[in-house]
Amino acid sequence: MSEYFGNIKTGAVTIATGMGITLKHFFNAVHRKGDAGLDDANYFRQVDGLCTLQYPREVIPTPPHGRYRLYNAVEDCIGCGQCVRACPISCITMETIKVAPDDLAVCGKTSDGQQKKFWIPVFDIDVAKCMTCGICTTVCPTECLFHTPVSDFSEFDRDNMIYHFGNLTRLEAEAKRRKLADIQAKAQAEKAKKAAETNTESHE
Amino acid sequence: MQELDTAVPGSVRVTRQSDKVVIIEKDLATEQMVLAMGPQHPSTHGVLKLECLTDGEVITEAEPCLGYLHRCFEKCCENVDYPAVVPYTDRLDYLAGMNSEFAYAITVEKLLDIEIPRRVEFIRVIVAELNRIASHLVAIGTYGIDLGAFTPFLFCFRDREIILGLLEWASGARMLYNYIWVGGLAYDVPADFLTRVKEFVNYFRPKALELCNLLTENEIFVKRTWGIGIMPADVAINYGWSGPMLRGSGVKWDLRRNDPYSIYPELDFKVPVPDGKHSVIGDCLSRHLVRAWEMDESLKIIEQCIDKMPSAEGFNPRSAIPKRIRPKAGEVYGRAENPRGELGFYIESDGKSTKPVRCKARSSCFVNLSAMKDLSKGQLIPDLVAIIGSIDIVLGEVDR
Amino acid sequence: MSTTALSQFSIPFLMGNSLNAWSEALAGFYLFGLPLGLVIIAAIPLVFIALYSLTYGVYGERKISAFMQDRLGPMEVGKWGILQTIADILKLLQKEDIVPASADKFLFVVGPGILFVGSFLAFAVLPFSPAFIGANLNVGLFYALGIVAIEVVGILAAGWGSNNKWSLYGAVRSVAQIVSYEIPAAIALLCGAMMAGTLDMQKITMLQSGTYGFAHFYLFHSPIAWLPFLIYFIASLAEVNRAPFDIPEAESELVAGYFTEYSGMKFAVIFLAEYGSMFMVSAIISIVFLGGWNSPLPNLGAIALNDWTSGPVWGAFWIISKGFFFIFIQMWLRWTLPRLRVDQLMYLCWKVLTPFAFVSFVLTAIWEIYIP
Repeated sequence: MSEYFGNIKTGAVTIATGMGITLKHFFNAVHRKGDAGLDDANYFRQVDGLCTLQYPREVIPTPPHGRYRLYNAVEDCIGCGQCVRACPISCITMETIKVAPDDLAVCGKTSDGQQKKFWIPVFDIDVAKCMTCGICTTVCPTECLFHTPVSDFSEFDRDNMIYHFGNLTRLEAEAKRRKLADIQAKAQAEKAKKAAETNTESHE
Repeated sequence: MQELDTAVPGSVRVTRQSDKVVIIEKDLATEQMVLAMGPQHPSTHGVLKLECLTDGEVITEAEPCLGYLHRCFEKCCENVDYPAVVPYTDRLDYLAGMNSEFAYAITVEKLLDIEIPRRVEFIRVIVAELNRIASHLVAIGTYGIDLGAFTPFLFCFRDREIILGLLEWASGARMLYNYIWVGGLAYDVPADFLTRVKEFVNYFRPKALELCNLLTENEIFVKRTWGIGIMPADVAINYGWSGPMLRGSGVKWDLRRNDPYSIYPELDFKVPVPDGKHSVIGDCLSRHLVRAWEMDESLKIIEQCIDKMPSAEGFNPRSAIPKRIRPKAGEVYGRAENPRGELGFYIESDGKSTKPVRCKARSSCFVNLSAMKDLSKGQLIPDLVAIIGSIDIVLGEVDR
Repeated sequence: MSTTALSQFSIPFLMGNSLNAWSEALAGFYLFGLPLGLVIIAAIPLVFIALYSLTYGVYGERKISAFMQDRLGPMEVGKWGILQTIADILKLLQKEDIVPASADKFLFVVGPGILFVGSFLAFAVLPFSPAFIGANLNVGLFYALGIVAIEVVGILAAGWGSNNKWSLYGAVRSVAQIVSYEIPAAIALLCGAMMAGTLDMQKITMLQSGTYGFAHFYLFHSPIAWLPFLIYFIASLAEVNRAPFDIPEAESELVAGYFTEYSGMKFAVIFLAEYGSMFMVSAIISIVFLGGWNSPLPNLGAIALNDWTSGPVWGAFWIISKGFFFIFIQMWLRWTLPRLRVDQLMYLCWKVLTPFAFVSFVLTAIWEIYIP
């Protein structure tokens, strides 16, 4: 019998405690926590009150090194292709054209003074596939590939999720390719000529 | 006069008189009903399907059906380099990514036999324990939802949000960190990180107490979980249970103590097991209490780590990371204490490739879930929900 | 008539019983030989309920639950999200009216209707003010108690007709629950009726009026009255399927219980019925124990607060605010407590509430006989 009444008593007491807690929160609803980031020294000052942020207008700040949208600063990219090999899910597609010797100055140098040796007509990142692991950024020798702290980049069309970073238009790429082919053909012909010359020389 | 159908229970016995069928006896035994609980059901925590055979509200048999979230984790691992497996391990137990990474990192380090800087170990333990608290908060919150209390869930998520913010600040991502690398860390922690973590510990203690008052001590909650789904210790061991589930059955087994790794031997913390006063040993409430107590122990560990942390002077988190990971031929099994139990990786290397030949994950949820059939026999549907909730499954880890 | 009525509306506390005359005039209003006035009178509670459930029921529940959980709640539609429920209603209206192929079509369609009618029939006998009552039955309380049981039929029809296992579980649970909880609820209300000596709702209310305001309410008449008051409140939670007794729709166990298969307007009707019955039980408890439309404010000498705050419109104000107070408590409980299990629910009903209801019944009888 005492257990029966004990049960009723604990039930009533614990329910009252719980209701007290929810009521406290109900009356704390006049406060709001705000959207201070964790790097703010006052982050833990306001601990009670509403903690919702109304998303498009108020956002949780992302840290500067947040890994969200992948970005390639193509003017620094030397086209080594390490990122393509490192990516676990192959979301990066890259095509390169060797720079012709007389174009080297046009192609330019990276910001740390390294001569670029490849045109990059295609550098596509499928950010819909990208799992933001950041492995590609760690292998990048010029640190031109990095994640930006932009977290909202939704699109209505899936094709828009493929970001193009190539530094040549299709026509330019065609021209460069032809030029390279010409140079290579010339070199080939030179070589063949030389070979023929040596051949005749040796015959004589 | 001829009897058509006789002895099947639950059937109607009829007899034919001239050309009329006359019912002579109705058996009162009722038919059992197959109830497919899931894969879309609010309380199966993802895409678990339970095929239940029910007699009224009583479950006579429940069979978990898995595989709805199978993503070929192990096959993926065989096709990527050792460091590139780390982001995949995040996706195993997505509520405790840091712990999964930790388990994988120590396994490969064991295979490579390399020395790790001390500060790296401390940071690893801090982030792993923070993530353990976050994971237990989800477990406790969703358990509240399973039993009908919605408010504790949101309180839990409010506090988890802060932990995710802290981990994002350290690693750059909110859930899928890729922070603990083989041989080191991706980055050192930000300058104010440790102060903020300390503030968080101070902030979280009263909040945990409030959660306890609101949910754990509530009489209805206690009545719903007391003595439900009791798992004796020996059966639990036979099933291969681990983590809070095994400790809930009264077995003091914690890999941080029993197979110590990293700096855990230097730290002072208890392995909480139910005492039989607050709950029946091995029931749902014990498992819930173990999780709640573990959060407290994790806070203690974090505080100790912050106090003992070696200085950041001349520290490079990537100093011990090998340029190219190509282990000697051999195999290794490494394990760590995850929030849900023992997460183990078995890795086989052929000595030539930079990719593992075999990478098997021993996931705790999968093993813990295997006892579902035993646990659910003869329970009511609400109790079945309570039991699933107390197992605290993450389908990402069950199906891999 | 219209000018006087308007002026009286603007100064409500000076109003006498002329509203009664107004409603009688309305009842006598015929258009093309049709009793249009009667239809309007019947429609008043309907309109009230629709408005209340839009504003306080749905919106209030969302906001209250949000504030208790450190959230903001609806904020986008209108200032502070005040138009959110209108948007929801528009959405529900536009939805396709789906009847599952293997459902029992008749029961599936008729279920929400019965539920709705069941929860609204009791409004006929609720006195909203000294002048306004749909039907002044001399067995009003008895009628209100009895008519609620019709809801069970609706729930069972909906659950069975859906041809869904979860719905069936919900319906069966609901029937067991409502039928069981009617016993402690009825006995608890009987205590109130015993104190009043009548089943007439209007008379029960009038007996609780007086110049000392709340001191005349039955809850403060005798200390024993608190017991049936609490018992009825708990039992009424179970009768309207509110947490912690929401096992017929237990969303984590039974998906959505008996209305799993419903969508669109049928779902809205079930929703409306739920909020309707929430107000109904709140109104009944405030009529029987808290003086219904009587003002709780006492006359303090020259400051005749009670007199100033009495009258037909004030009466409606008081009963509606008392109802809202209890609805607030219902919501407060819902967002605090976990859900009981089926057997615990029955334990609470048969082993706790019913014995205590009998005890309170006997004690009230003794109190009424021996203590004037």
